[in-house]
Amino acid sequence: MNRKKIYPTWFAAGALLLYSVLFVLPGVIGIGYSFTDWSSYSDRLKFVGLENFRTVFSADGNYLKIMKNTLVFTLGTTVIKNILGLALAVLLTKSIRLLNFHRGVMFMPSVLSTLILGMIFTSILNPSTGLLNTFFRGIGLGGLAKPWLTSPVYAFKSVMAVDIWRGTGYIMTILIAGILSISSDYYEACSIDGASGWQKFRFITLPLLLPTLATTTVLNVIYGLKVFDMIYALTNGGPGKATTEVLYTAVFKKFGTGQYAIGTALSSVMFLFMVFIGFFMIRLMTKDEVQE
Amino acid sequence: MKLKKLAALSLAMAAALAFSGCTKQENAPQKSTAEGESTSADAKTTAAQEKGGVTLSFMASQDWIQDAEIELSKKFTQETGIKVDYQIIPSDQYVNLLMTKLNTGECTDIFGAQSGKFDIKAQINVEKNAVDLTKTSWGSQVEPLVADELSVDGKLYGQPIQDVSSVWAIGYNKQIFKKLNLEIPKDYASFQKVCDTIKAAGITPVYECVSDGWHHTLWLPEAGVEAETAEPGIVDKWNNNQVPFKGNATLMTILDQINDMVAKGYWGEDYMSNTYADSAKNIASGKYAMTVANQGFGVEVNKVNPDIAADDIGYFVIPLADNQTLNVNPAGPARFIFSGSKHAAEAQQYLEFLAKEENLKYLTENVGKFNKLPFLNAPSMYTETIQDFYNRYDKKGTVIQTAVKYVNPQWSEMGANLSAMIVGEMTPDEVLASIDEVRAQQAKAAGDPAWK
Repeated sequence: MNRKKIYPTWFAAGALLLYSVLFVLPGVIGIGYSFTDWSSYSDRLKFVGLENFRTVFSADGNYLKIMKNTLVFTLGTTVIKNILGLALAVLLTKSIRLLNFHRGVMFMPSVLSTLILGMIFTSILNPSTGLLNTFFRGIGLGGLAKPWLTSPVYAFKSVMAVDIWRGTGYIMTILIAGILSISSDYYEACSIDGASGWQKFRFITLPLLLPTLATTTVLNVIYGLKVFDMIYALTNGGPGKATTEVLYTAVFKKFGTGQYAIGTALSSVMFLFMVFIGFFMIRLMTKDEVQE
Repeated sequence: MKLKKLAALSLAMAAALAFSGCTKQENAPQKSTAEGESTSADAKTTAAQEKGGVTLSFMASQDWIQDAEIELSKKFTQETGIKVDYQIIPSDQYVNLLMTKLNTGECTDIFGAQSGKFDIKAQINVEKNAVDLTKTSWGSQVEPLVADELSVDGKLYGQPIQDVSSVWAIGYNKQIFKKLNLEIPKDYASFQKVCDTIKAAGITPVYECVSDGWHHTLWLPEAGVEAETAEPGIVDKWNNNQVPFKGNATLMTILDQINDMVAKGYWGEDYMSNTYADSAKNIASGKYAMTVANQGFGVEVNKVNPDIAADDIGYFVIPLADNQTLNVNPAGPARFIFSGSKHAAEAQQYLEFLAKEENLKYLTENVGKFNKLPFLNAPSMYTETIQDFYNRYDKKGTVIQTAVKYVNPQWSEMGANLSAMIVGEMTPDEVLASIDEVRAQQAKAAGDPAWK
């Protein structure tokens, strides 16, 4: 190999410098602040060690519930979005009438602004005047009309449902691209061997789609952990203390009340979550990748 | 090697270019601060010409700047040549943004903030961030109770923006009360009777909106004035951290009675999803009879339904825990001049202009919800109903969020706790304990000696 043809490492210096100054440094400083008593009440900054993290992980506060909510939200929406997205992608790669129209309809919710969607759904899910409950009452199923966003029993599931509705089309689009890139030769060979539709899906589509599924899962998980606008617009963490509170809405509220140090401690925890989950997930999911 | 040198050189140049934008223009000419006190017409014109370029920036929360004030500012520009640029921020983001701006030392020339002698000291830190306005021509005209909430160590730092005479009380539809032959309740038992009668007539007694997160919170600290009436000196004890909120009999009664109202259906079915923006509409529709409102509410209801006159909405104090003390709140939004402003003199001119008698009159006449601005020389426009309401109660008490430290800053947290209590996730005891806990956190962060 001609070593002279490879660019020397110091060519990356400029990019590295910019990246460090603009991304790494603020991140590290942020983590640094989580070990202080930074707040809007005082100019002085005192090192308090792990106190903020002790607060965050103590059983008294709601923080553990908030972390649990975030993880449940992430897991739930990721699994369901992937399953529904995959089903829709398989359906919408068959030759059916108005194919692009169907794809467009499914993709539409992802294009709309989350905040606007949140407001629309706050109105649709309003217990007395909302479209959904009015519909149920109209067809004589008044018993199904529930306080979707205002009862601790249903609020979290409702928020997840709206998010799944919004995100499935996006996942579907990525998976459609993945399915279309699979060579038709495999399916042809399969047909000649007499494979059924399920077998084609199980032994060709799914294995060859794994890299794409890995991508959609990573995207979903990162989105789920970082979710803010959907929850903010639908319930703002309520009803009650922390029924639908997730990490980002909690961080937002802590900054709003001037408790910056707790806010940064929470975001540091979230950062660790993301690095940990992201790293292991990518390793796990790319382990058995099928190479074409 | 040549390549290495070239790369190093270009990197250095790029860095120099990138950082050159960060230099402060410390040598920039600073004129236009000396001409603040010119009074004669000639001097004004000269000043107007010289200050032609000055634009004051004024940051405030949504609803704090009235159209009438913007109209007045045009007159101010005509007189002095100084323009005012209003930066209106959504209310839920305002405090956060203001604190960030103050902490980074880059605030607007004038900023709005809630008054309250404890909060302006601990949170806004006016001694450092705002200009002392004690010696201004209008300073002595501010009503004493209101001025007290704008002062630290006897120095006045702010100018009130709004009418603060209005109190959060129960606004009721007089027509419904008359039809059902009801009288103004004087304690919780009579309030219950009123609610039962209204409910029996097929009308929801109280319109409450929990989803906004702040309105349902009012019941506790507003009716909480009763705590001081029941146990004189309790407010001082709370401020000196001698007793906690938890275990206070009055506050516990209020919380229990909130639960009781919900359980008995006085708030109807949709209290969790109702919104404050719809309150006038719902009272105007006649589906609801009462709501916690301030004294501009009658005008709002009248706007929606002309059949209900503004005076058809009457008021009585929240009778939880048998409260009969008028819950006044001398705190409200105020204008402060940022101490780091280059145009502090012009900003003072603007405040002086607004406090002129004719301009106070203009504001009172042109803003529906203003009945009496808190200046001694401001005109009063109370209607008979409102005057009656204020005269009905002998005793006045300052609401808890203003009288007691570290309560107002946790308003939204209190709101979340109360809604958790309403849906059965927390007990009244836990709600009070949580308020104590957040108070302690804030006091500690502020270095309050009473919490050490």
